[in-house]
Amino acid sequence: MAKKTFGLVIATVLFAVPTGLFAQEQQEPEPTIGLADVGQGSLLFKTDTPGRYVPAPVQSTEVEIAVRGLVVEATVRQSFHNPGDEWLEGVYVFPLPQKAGVHAMRLEIGERVIEGQIEEREAARKVYQQAKKEGRKASLVEQERPNVFTTSVANIGPGEKIGVRVSYQQVLEYDSGRFELRFPMVIGPRYIPGSKVTTRAKTGTGWVFDSDQVEDASRVTPPVLHPDQGAVNLVRLKVSLDAGMPLERLNCPSHAAQIEKTAGEVHSILLNGVPADRDFVLEWTPARGSEPRAAVFTEELDGSYYVLAMLMPPDDTFTETVRLPREVIFVVDTSGSMGGTSIIQARDALALALEQLAPEDYFNIIEFDSNFTKLHRQSVPAMPAAIDGAKQWVAGLQADGGTEMMGPLLAALEDLEEHTPLRQVVFITDGCVGNEDALFHAIHEELGRSRLFTIGIGSAPNSHFMERAASFGRGDFTHIGTPSEVLLRMGEFFAKLENPVLADIELQWPDPNTETWPEQVPDLYAGRPVVVTARLGTVHGELVANGVRADESWEARTILSVAPERAGINRLWARRKIASIMDQQARGVPEDEVRPKVVEIALAHHLISKYTSLVAVDVTPTRPTDEKMRTGAVPTNLPAGWKYEKVFGTLPKGGTASRLYLLTALIAIALGVFVRQLRGVV
Amino acid sequence: MIVQRVLSGLSALLLATGIVQGVRGGWIHAKAGLAQVLLHHSWERTQEGGVEEKPWPWADTWPVARLTLPGGGEHIVLAGATGRNLAFAPGYLDGSSKPGGDGTCVIAGHRDTHFSDLDMLEMGQIVVLEDEKGRSRSYRVVTTAVVEERDTWVITDNEGPTLVLITCWPLDSPMPGGTQRYVVWAEAEER
Repeated sequence: MAKKTFGLVIATVLFAVPTGLFAQEQQEPEPTIGLADVGQGSLLFKTDTPGRYVPAPVQSTEVEIAVRGLVVEATVRQSFHNPGDEWLEGVYVFPLPQKAGVHAMRLEIGERVIEGQIEEREAARKVYQQAKKEGRKASLVEQERPNVFTTSVANIGPGEKIGVRVSYQQVLEYDSGRFELRFPMVIGPRYIPGSKVTTRAKTGTGWVFDSDQVEDASRVTPPVLHPDQGAVNLVRLKVSLDAGMPLERLNCPSHAAQIEKTAGEVHSILLNGVPADRDFVLEWTPARGSEPRAAVFTEELDGSYYVLAMLMPPDDTFTETVRLPREVIFVVDTSGSMGGTSIIQARDALALALEQLAPEDYFNIIEFDSNFTKLHRQSVPAMPAAIDGAKQWVAGLQADGGTEMMGPLLAALEDLEEHTPLRQVVFITDGCVGNEDALFHAIHEELGRSRLFTIGIGSAPNSHFMERAASFGRGDFTHIGTPSEVLLRMGEFFAKLENPVLADIELQWPDPNTETWPEQVPDLYAGRPVVVTARLGTVHGELVANGVRADESWEARTILSVAPERAGINRLWARRKIASIMDQQARGVPEDEVRPKVVEIALAHHLISKYTSLVAVDVTPTRPTDEKMRTGAVPTNLPAGWKYEKVFGTLPKGGTASRLYLLTALIAIALGVFVRQLRGVV
Repeated sequence: MIVQRVLSGLSALLLATGIVQGVRGGWIHAKAGLAQVLLHHSWERTQEGGVEEKPWPWADTWPVARLTLPGGGEHIVLAGATGRNLAFAPGYLDGSSKPGGDGTCVIAGHRDTHFSDLDMLEMGQIVVLEDEKGRSRSYRVVTTAVVEERDTWVITDNEGPTLVLITCWPLDSPMPGGTQRYVVWAEAEER
């Protein structure tokens, strides 16, 4: 049975230190432990000495979110604990909201606090590496994707705890009469297309190699624990919500949160230690009659005014309009990451969407995993028989395999024949891929007259993909987090598909030299407000917005001078400017041109970006130079509702029922003979 | 009288069930044994011709290696560790390193037929793998373990040329479809 015990212990060993990263630390044998020394439930990672392991860093998170009106201010405190008896570097790859502007980081060692500085990415890394080598405590926060970040903490002593506090700001989502606050806690394992690059060391500590299509794949794929090994990365989360208006409804669909009304219209929402395995979602609906029509905040800084403005087009312009026939291409993700509850939500959503089609419409469905299959060779009229056939096909869809998204995306955008005036592509996926930029580029290039919409499925979708894909596709996006949300969300989604957009939106500011981000307000779908940020010389005057919906013109005005002042609006403006510049890259502008622009604005406003990081270094060294340090990636949970084996695969099977057959044969024959004997006796 | 008839019927039913199950169980072993005979022939033809020789006309697989275990067991290995192939022979896992290659070569087999003695392998024993071109390579058994089916690291986390043999665990379990696997790692000897 010794073998069996070994197997159980080794099953808890999950991550390998990338070889070559720590060459300077490998010269002599170090105090590590063998598997026989490990107690149950320990999380270990391998060293370069076969059979020797060291304990992984333990991470927990405390989140404080303050919502005032439209603006969210949050601090995320990550605490790193080193349970082992040698020095450790902790590396934690974690998600934040895709529009978060991260502007501060503090390294907390006991009572001491060291404020992080913004630097260009390489410079920040050099500062960090130097401190790491010299035995000084240091922390580095880098951005891998707009919604994926890495915290590295160097020189955590044996048994020691170190805190890293990250602060960010964002603008709330407002859609279909509802505000949504979403805080992601775990990165759904990303599928990495392309062939792996094994010729050089990995750039990160992830569970895959970098690939020729995703060069930083190992930086966005933190190691994932099997659910059987228990949950890690506990999160304590507190929201203080000052909506600024009476609420009709406030609920938390993702968690059993404690919700209390504290004073006036201020609510406090608390999660007391939940595993980081899904997005935290909080929704509230303004009371009837107090829905916002417009909201403006300003900030004066260095002689300029920064403005955040939201303007809500009224619903009553949605008068009876003629429904235009459309061609709808549904693209449904049936890869392994959609296994479990996600595929059920996807099937339900798709079945509902099919029922929504009218006989004059055309449709087709494409399902994809490692390969893709079209239901029909080309779009067919949405006649009842075709819809019934499609629903049957959809009911049989199973989730398995990889997430090769490019092929089905291009196939869906291929406009073979102009059957109808409108052409809409509806992408139903969790977006768990690592090649987002390549997909955005393809959408931009191939969109034509089609409009692309995304429906994000599951407990931890890649919201960055959902939002940007819809933005490049000039469509809109929605989230379906649980099967019970399918009906409501799809209802809102159909309103977006069926109603005419508000187009040709133009803004007039009191200052002709206003710098507005986004530069061009995109077409708005039903339920969406105009949200812009601007920098201008004066706020004495009005913001006038106008646009056209189904031949009816729309105009809204709001006076800027009376708008309340809020600190930090400049960062929201800068964050949107960075996002717009980064988008240019997907539109084909070379990185060499994009990068300096982003660096300039990010440094000026103290913001993390793809090219700038926050770094903090302690003054005095704590690790004696003769003691070694190891690097440990913080393991993460599998998102709730997922199936581990569907994503990470299994070993081949090696058993048949032959023994079962032979055994039953023996028993049956013995019984038969016995019964025969019995007959003689009776 | 009625009791007698019921008992007769029951006895006949049980005996018939016994025969059917015996044939089903025996068939698996017969297939596994017979296939190896045919496979040895096609292996020899492969070696002579140097091309992929299908063991029987309708086969969608072909022999890729000959595996010799220290106890004297000799198996022809088929391309693809699929359920269908494993009924006939141990299967080479597509995508793993080619037999004799520099990475990890994975071969899976059924615990009740070809790999029924896999747990007899001991550390230090030599397993020989001969590739399609007739080149032999010796691998020394370094470790064995029982793992869960999801533990794909047993395939991915090895260094240097390694041979990994996998079968279902427990070896003597009558029930198919368990989630445990028995794994043997063997490292290539210097040539």
